[in-house]
Amino acid sequence: MFYREAGQYKTSYAADMAVFPIRQDRIGLAVILFTAFVLIPAFGNQFFLSSVMIPTLVFALAAIGLNILTGYTGLISLGTAAFMGVGAYACYKLTTWFPGVNIIVWIIASGFVSAFVGAMFGLPSLRIKGFYLVVATLAAQFFLQWCFGRIPWLVNYNTSGAIEAPERFLFGIPITGANATPESRYLVVLGVVALMTWFASNLVHGRVGRAWMAVRDMDIAAELMGIRLLTTKLLAFAVSSFYCGVSGALMVFLWYGSAEPEVFVINQSFLILFMVIIGGLGSLVGSFMGAALIYMLPIVLRLLPAALGVPIAAATVEHLQFIIVGVLIIVFLIAEPHGLARLWQTGKQKLRIWPFPY
Amino acid sequence: MRAPGSDKGVAAGDVLLAVDNVSLNFGGVKAITDVSFDIRKGEIRAIIGPNGAGKTSMLNVINGFYHPQQGRITYRGETRQKMRPYVAASQGISRTFQNVALFKGMSTLDNIMAGRTLKMRGSFFWQLFRHGPAMREEIEHRKVVEEIIDFLEIQAIRKTPVGKLPYGLQKRVELGRALAMEPDLLLLDEPMAGMNLEEKEDMSRFIIDVNNQYGTTIALIEHDIGVVMDLSDRIVVLEYGRKIADGTPDQVKSDQTVIDAYLGVPH
Ligand SMILES: Nc1ncnc2c1ncn2[C@@H]1O[C@H](COP(=O)(O)OP(=O)(O)OP(=O)(O)O)[C@@H](O)[C@H]1O
Ligand SMILES: [Mg+2]
Repeated sequence: MFYREAGQYKTSYAADMAVFPIRQDRIGLAVILFTAFVLIPAFGNQFFLSSVMIPTLVFALAAIGLNILTGYTGLISLGTAAFMGVGAYACYKLTTWFPGVNIIVWIIASGFVSAFVGAMFGLPSLRIKGFYLVVATLAAQFFLQWCFGRIPWLVNYNTSGAIEAPERFLFGIPITGANATPESRYLVVLGVVALMTWFASNLVHGRVGRAWMAVRDMDIAAELMGIRLLTTKLLAFAVSSFYCGVSGALMVFLWYGSAEPEVFVINQSFLILFMVIIGGLGSLVGSFMGAALIYMLPIVLRLLPAALGVPIAAATVEHLQFIIVGVLIIVFLIAEPHGLARLWQTGKQKLRIWPFPY
Repeated sequence: MRAPGSDKGVAAGDVLLAVDNVSLNFGGVKAITDVSFDIRKGEIRAIIGPNGAGKTSMLNVINGFYHPQQGRITYRGETRQKMRPYVAASQGISRTFQNVALFKGMSTLDNIMAGRTLKMRGSFFWQLFRHGPAMREEIEHRKVVEEIIDFLEIQAIRKTPVGKLPYGLQKRVELGRALAMEPDLLLLDEPMAGMNLEEKEDMSRFIIDVNNQYGTTIALIEHDIGVVMDLSDRIVVLEYGRKIADGTPDQVKSDQTVIDAYLGVPH
């Protein structure tokens, strides 16, 4: 009833072009940001911060990365986890080489390393499409995964084969390593993810995003309008891998604390693809919804029956999770390819004209 | 919209584009055989002919999507063996497609805005912020796009995803997208196919207005002979990839070869 645009006249193109043209949406965004930046760190317990919020944000960032490539540009990739790995290992190498430089700088730098590697593997995308491109990204996944496991230089010749996040500080507060509190790690992750989401939103709403979507929807027409296919696709690969790379660095440095090559395997690529499909192809909000749903589902499945006093075995939880995710993917692919985000949109649209259906 | 091309050194009536002895084949299929004709600045030039005559292929040669095996293309005084899509687009050739080729997932506004891509120069850096130069550029182009939207009378569907629009409106949006490039040469591939009478009349009006108001040169493929005769200054007729006639509507109408091959017996 209160969600509508009546009386809110747009007096300039700038106002009409705003990402959230309706006032209630802007208020909603403010509430979400306030909750995320103030209420959650103030009242959330350690488990909620470390095991729910941080992972969801990390995955949401990777999902945004994949969404830029798959949802906006129409190029399917199964190499997401590998590009996350590139970010994680690059960050590890950089911060152990130059421990004096702030870790945030290295997290961003590792995004650029990942962007470069992603663009390299994106080169074939000019010539090949669809299924064959999927196979090419699969090759990237397996090649990089092999590198993580077999090149001792990447892990500074650690005999364990794992990388471990050393202690690093921001404004004198430890944000990585064993002494970093969940609150500080959460706030850093949130800050990075919020900023990068804002950048992504700006990109997809402007010239760059239109070029991506044009290539996705009708590449011939795009080309004949002067949109360069190779440049546009490579940019999508680079930006996408940048997001995945930063997500991977955050995953190891601010969530896991350490990582073995097995973290960045094909299963994780699939997991993120599922988040994008269920959340909504071509939607940033959807990337968050998808990440939250897929990541939190097993937690809820584990905690809910326990809370209700129903005993449930760990194996059952896992099976249930597979079944639910599988069914959801099939349902969404058939019934609503635009995912949760579209359901949300439709709901809002209904609300806008409620209670009169026409 | 400025009057496109008025400052490009080709005066009205001069040859803007010429194809000379162009032949194009796909494996064994001869799509175009030794065709020559020219398009003069400011005119509406129709290309007609039966199905499979090579009309669409000719447009694809002109904007560089197909590369002919033989022949030359002269555009704005510059002769080349083949066009390249990017060069064609950046030198002011834009087009619509026989089967609507819009960006289905995008709104009318975004489709037409996409037509401005080549004119947008802002850096990637400012795009990240959507403020400052990036926003100024976006607004400046939005104004041009709004003029096109007003011109084509599609204000009501500004924010509608084009995939949801009826066919006739999609054709109109596609024209808008082509106009957004401020073309010197506009290639229209059957802009009225599948339209009812009223929609055809609207589209004819838009084509004439574009030609009159902005001086845009137009190459038009159309099967509706009535429309073609009304709109065009000169007509080239293709059959089985060969040119069989070329001239004013009156000349073409009374040409015996054309009557036999395409127009049928006059009643
Ligand atoms: N990409 C292609 N590959 C192979 N053959 C092609 C290709 N494009 C066109 N052709 C062939 O070239 C010939 C001319 O086709 P074109 O599409 O130019 O005809 P048209 O005059 O536009 O016909 P219509 O009125 O049906 O649109 C046809 O025989 C067609 O099959
Ligand atoms: Mg055709």
